[in-house]
Formats: sequence, C-alpha cells, structure tokens
Amino acid sequence: MSSPSHLFASGVLVALLMATASAQQDDQPLVLDPDVSFDQDFGFDDDLFNAFGDEEDSGPDWLDDFTVRISQQFFGQANNHSVDLAPGFSFPREAELENNRLGINVRYQNAFAPGWLLQASGQARFYWNDDYEYEANHGRIDVEYRINEFFLQRSFGNESVKVGNQTVVWGETVGNSVLDVINHIEFRDLTIIDIEDARRNQFMVVWDHFGEGSTWSTFLNLYPEFNPAPVRGSPFFFEPPFNLPDYVRGDDRFFEIGTQWRKSLELTDISFMAAYLYENQLRYEDPIDGMGNAIPKKNDFVLLGFSANRAIGRLLLNFDLAFSHDVLADSFNIPGTAALASPLDLKKDRIGTSFGFEYAVDNEQSVSLGIQAQKVLDEDEGLLPGQTLVNEGLFGSWLVRYSNTLLNSDLTLSSTLQGDLEGDSLLAMLGVDYTLNDNWSVNAQIISITANSGSPLLFFDEDLRLGATISYAF
Amino acid sequence: MVRQVVLTGLSVFALALSGLGLAQDLTPIEIMERMEDNQRATSNSALSKMQISTCRFGVKDSRITCAERPRIKLMESVGKGYGALLRDTRSVSILLEPAAERGIGMLTYAYDDATRDNESWLYLSALGRVKRIASGSDDDETEPGSLFGSEFTTEDMDTGKLEEYSINLLEESNQGGRDVWVVEMIPNEDRARKSRYSRTVNYIDKERFVPLRVEMYDQYDKEVKRMLGSRVEMMNGIWVSRSITMMNLVSNRLSNMAFLEMHTGIEVPDEFLTQRTLTDAAFRETELEKLRSQIQ
Repeated sequence: MSSPSHLFASGVLVALLMATASAQQDDQPLVLDPDVSFDQDFGFDDDLFNAFGDEEDSGPDWLDDFTVRISQQFFGQANNHSVDLAPGFSFPREAELENNRLGINVRYQNAFAPGWLLQASGQARFYWNDDYEYEANHGRIDVEYRINEFFLQRSFGNESVKVGNQTVVWGETVGNSVLDVINHIEFRDLTIIDIEDARRNQFMVVWDHFGEGSTWSTFLNLYPEFNPAPVRGSPFFFEPPFNLPDYVRGDDRFFEIGTQWRKSLELTDISFMAAYLYENQLRYEDPIDGMGNAIPKKNDFVLLGFSANRAIGRLLLNFDLAFSHDVLADSFNIPGTAALASPLDLKKDRIGTSFGFEYAVDNEQSVSLGIQAQKVLDEDEGLLPGQTLVNEGLFGSWLVRYSNTLLNSDLTLSSTLQGDLEGDSLLAMLGVDYTLNDNWSVNAQIISITANSGSPLLFFDEDLRLGATISYAF
Repeated sequence: MVRQVVLTGLSVFALALSGLGLAQDLTPIEIMERMEDNQRATSNSALSKMQISTCRFGVKDSRITCAERPRIKLMESVGKGYGALLRDTRSVSILLEPAAERGIGMLTYAYDDATRDNESWLYLSALGRVKRIASGSDDDETEPGSLFGSEFTTEDMDTGKLEEYSINLLEESNQGGRDVWVVEMIPNEDRARKSRYSRTVNYIDKERFVPLRVEMYDQYDKEVKRMLGSRVEMMNGIWVSRSITMMNLVSNRLSNMAFLEMHTGIEVPDEFLTQRTLTDAAFRETELEKLRSQIQ
C-alpha cells in the first residue's frame, strides 16, 4: 500500500516524531538572581495567582455535582478522489463536510447519603446545516438526546451494588481487547475511532465483593441490547437491500450474566472471568418473501477469559485470552457492516487473544501497542462444498498509539495507527489537544485511510478526514 | 534537598524537637536525617487538600510573576506509612478541579526498598476501569515522572537513600530573613545515573528545619530548577512550608503547590488505600467523610 494518503500518514507520523525530538532539545536555562523573590503569601491569596482575576463565584453547592461540557465539532472528508471497487467500476468521493454539530454532555455524581451514590450522564446533539444528520432529516436542524449512565449505588461493608444504566469493561488491552465484549457499541462515524467513546450503557445489576486482596464482580443484564444499525446518511451507512430493523423482543425474555475474579499481586494484576452473553452484532437474514424488513437474529454464547498485566519499570505488558463457545462463524470486526455478511448460519468455537504493551518513554511521551488475534476452531466443520468463512485462519487487528504531552500537559500530540492483521487496511490519525485554560480546550484531528478490496474499509480508501472540536467545560 | 520537600505534600519538620543550640551541633548528614525522620512522621496518616498552579513565568526587578493565567488543579490526598519503620507509603489522590478532570484518582504504593518498583493505578471513567500505570521506580535509570503534569517530579518528592549522597555544609547564611544552613548534596556514581541533577544546594531554616530554597544543577553545573518554600506555619504541631514553588529555568514554567489543608494523626483504614477507593465512589465519599470528621 503506497497510496498518497498512506504516504501522508507516514509523513505526519515522522513529522510528529521530529517535532518531538526538536521540542526536547534543551535550551539555555534562565539565569536567576540569587535573591530573586516574590510575595510572602505566594501561592495562596497573594497577587501572583490572583493577578488574573476574578475570584470564582462558587454558586450553590448542588451545582458542584454537575460537570458540563459543551462542544462544537466540524469534521469532513477533504480529498477529492474515486474508489475502485472492481476493475472498471469506481465511484467518486467528493470532499464534503460531514459533521457540523453542537454537543452538550452533562455528568452528575452525588453521594447523597453515607454509602449511597447516584450517578448519571447524558448528551444532547444539535445537528446544523451540512451535517449528515441534517441532510438525513430533510434539511432541517435535528436534535438528539440520550441518557448514558444512570445508576444508583449502595456500598456497605465489603459489598457494593449498582443498579441501572452502566458499562462493564473487561480486559487489559486498551482499545481492542477480545474480552471487551459486554457492552454494545456504536461507531456512528469516523470521528469515533476509540472503543472507549463508542461503548453504550445497558441496564444492569452489578455486585462487587471486595475481599481480602481480591475482588469478585458479577453482573446481571436483564435487557441485553445490540449494536444499532448505522444511521442513514452516516459514513458507515450503505443502502442495504432490505431494511435493518431493531430486534423485536415480544415475549422473548433473555438475559446476560457474568462474573470476574480479580487479584492484584506486586507489579501484576490477574483476573479470570466467565459469562453467558449475546453477541452484540445482530445477524440479518433476508425476508422470507424477498421484500420489506430483514429478519434480525440474536445469538447466545459462553465466554471464558483470563487477563493479566505485568509492570516492568516503565513498561507495562498486557495480555487477554478469550474462549468463546457457540459464536456465529461469520462476524466482522467493524460493527454495522455485518448486515452485508454472507448468509452462513453456523455456530463455532473461537479462541482469541489480545496483547501488547505500554511504554512510558519519559515524562511526556508514551507508546502503546495492542494486537488482537482470533481464530475460529474447526473451521471447515459444517461447511457445504464451496462454502468458506469470511474470517479464515488467523484474523484480527493491531493498534499503535503514541502521545507526547507538552506545556505541563496543556498540549498533547498523539498519533494512532490501526490496521488489520492481513494488511488490507491502515488508518492513521494525528491528533492535537490543546487546553487553553480550565474551561476551554481545542482538539484537531487528521485521519487518513488506506484499504484494499480485502477490507470493509475499502469504501473509505484514500479518504483524508479533517476535523476540529472546541469545548467549554465547567 | 528538594526531593525531601514535597512527599504527599509535606515539606515539614516536626516538633521543633531540638532547640537551636542542639541543632547547631548537627552534622550535615544529621540535618538531613532529621528532615527525613520528621517527614515520615508527618506523612503517616495524613489527609490534605492541595492546589497545584502552573504557569509560564517572567522575572522583573528580581520579582517573579506569572506571564499567563495559571492552570490550577485542586486535589485531596490521603496517605499512610507501612512497613516496620513506616518507610513505605500508600496514598490516594483524587482531583477535585478542574471540572473536566474531576474524579480522576490515582493510587500509589511507594516502597523505600530501592529494589522494589513503585506501583500506581489510575481510574479514568472513559476507560471504565482501573488501569495500572507503567511508572517505574525512582530508581530506574529513567527520567522521573511528573505529578499531574506539573513541574514537580517523583525525584523531587523522593525520600531516603541518603547514603547515596555526599553531603557537605557549604556555609551558614541568611535566606529571607531566616538563618539557614546551606547544604550541598552530590549523588554518588550509582545515584547520579538515576538522577537528572548533578547536585543540589539546600537552604535549610535552622530553627524550623524547613528548606526555604533549593537549587538544582544539571550535568554542566547549570542551575536548571529552583524551589522556593514560603508561608512556613505551624500546623498540627509541625512546621510546614505551605507554599512550595518549583521553577523550571529551562522552560520558564513554574508550579506552585499550596497546602490549603493538612491534617496528620488521622486514622486511615487500610481498605481506603486500595483500588476500591478509585472505583467505588459511594465507598470513597463515605470514608472521606469519616476521615474529615476526625478533624473536627
């Protein structure tokens, strides 16, 4: 792969590294007078730190329980090009603005009585002119609200019980753990490439038992949810041959349950887990009469897992292992596109691992690598002559992150490279986060995508995506 | 010596247990040992609230001023000593401000034994779980980490291992109207490989045993950082430098650590200094209330 966007991605990475090296070269230190001084009350209520103003108006105490972030985002595809889907067949990709939206995120946390806590978070989105949601809403401003977390917690003795909307995260590898499968996810658009931002909350009961040196954590999900289909108009949306409806529950009662045992030893954390789950991605079958809605099918499976980490100086090693019994043989790594999968309806066992490391180069720089690899066991069993699995042999993905913080963490430069093990796709991101003050911050991203016909990201091949977000938090 | 100044927020010298007459007889290493002993006594079972302010600074007419509005972090910290001599420390720090970072917590187990790596865990709500941090030990041959992005590093907050230094009394002088010893600390060969400083010069209040100024020099013997202590007050029977400022003379940025509250002799349950405090906010807030109630 040596497309212009790929070269660009490599270029920005090299540029970032060079900038880092340059920034780290020592300047001549300031020569300070021996008797340099300042006010006696330096650091408290002296004029050094109050010179800029404005004593905070503390306001009512109950407001302290709220954290609010307001952000405006612009994001778009900047490279005019065409994508070759097959010899002689290509389609144009025009530069266009995709996101023009205002977001309001509110978080509330209140320990209102001894041992009790109420926590909630929610978001509102306002889609302005030229946002794909605006277009999908027939050229009208669209507004969307969503409750994320909403749970009540009671802690007593060695126990803690949380009831309500929440997430449960397993696994040590950040970004692509094979054990991070409990929450359903939504990658609505390419501004979200981190799994942490894509996880969605579910209504669960979580019971933690904090024992002597170890912890049991058990969850019961009485209302398992599934990855939502891509929103019409979003970059991940492709006109399917049939509508992709949500799962219709009717009288169908089903649940998920799982438990994890975790222990911290010196320089090592280990955990074992077992769960009965439903795959987050629904499988769609063609409608019986060949028209109308596709038929969503859910699939239950059993997960057994182990995870561990090990700190060695500034190096942290991560390891996750997952054995999944009775998963559907064909499933894609990228959510939303499974609707395009072949109609193979076969249950298999799968073994997977994710592992990697994080290394703190120095005070400011860190590098991490994560590799996820999975394999379907007894691949050929149950296949008809001529049938093949979508994922044959070893399949998975890798992820490299680099970050460099400057100006006492006010400025963070980061770079992410992400691809699949087969080498069919590469996603490169360069990000800049700058904190102007305690309230204002700015983020900018450049994302370059390269993919060939072996990857579902083919439709984004040679995309160059630029975006910026300005946020105000209080 | 700056590394003794800031541990869990303490640049403290307890007790004023010796009179000035006795203190005058101390050798340089005894002065430092006294600092260490007092420091450990005060870092054990402590609850404190600190404000770390960071800005780019300028100097005009020998006065230091921030050249921009400082970035301010407010945090609450609880610490306790462990081991036979209470030389190991477990501490948990929770950020209260700014709003965007509220609730971020860090649990640290620091070991006095040079062969044991310190351990840290961080809880970030975005990750949804506790995450071990690859921070290493102060004794690794690596650059020391900083405290919440400030100019204070783990090396600045380190204690112990005095035997790894050559300690000399340079002179007796005056700093800000206080009589001080000027003590130079030069790391030995082993220590020098682990330190970013070739030597430090410490101005120590003779009466209160509080460092009022520390100069840190690089391998070319250029002063690269300077620490200044002020607002020395008696708190809970202990002399404390409540305002400590670390100036980075290379980047022209400074961080000030202000101890808004500090209470020692608090009965801290062992369970509080575990990962549960990071993840279980109901437990954390309940236990913090109990700790605060001991103060009143």
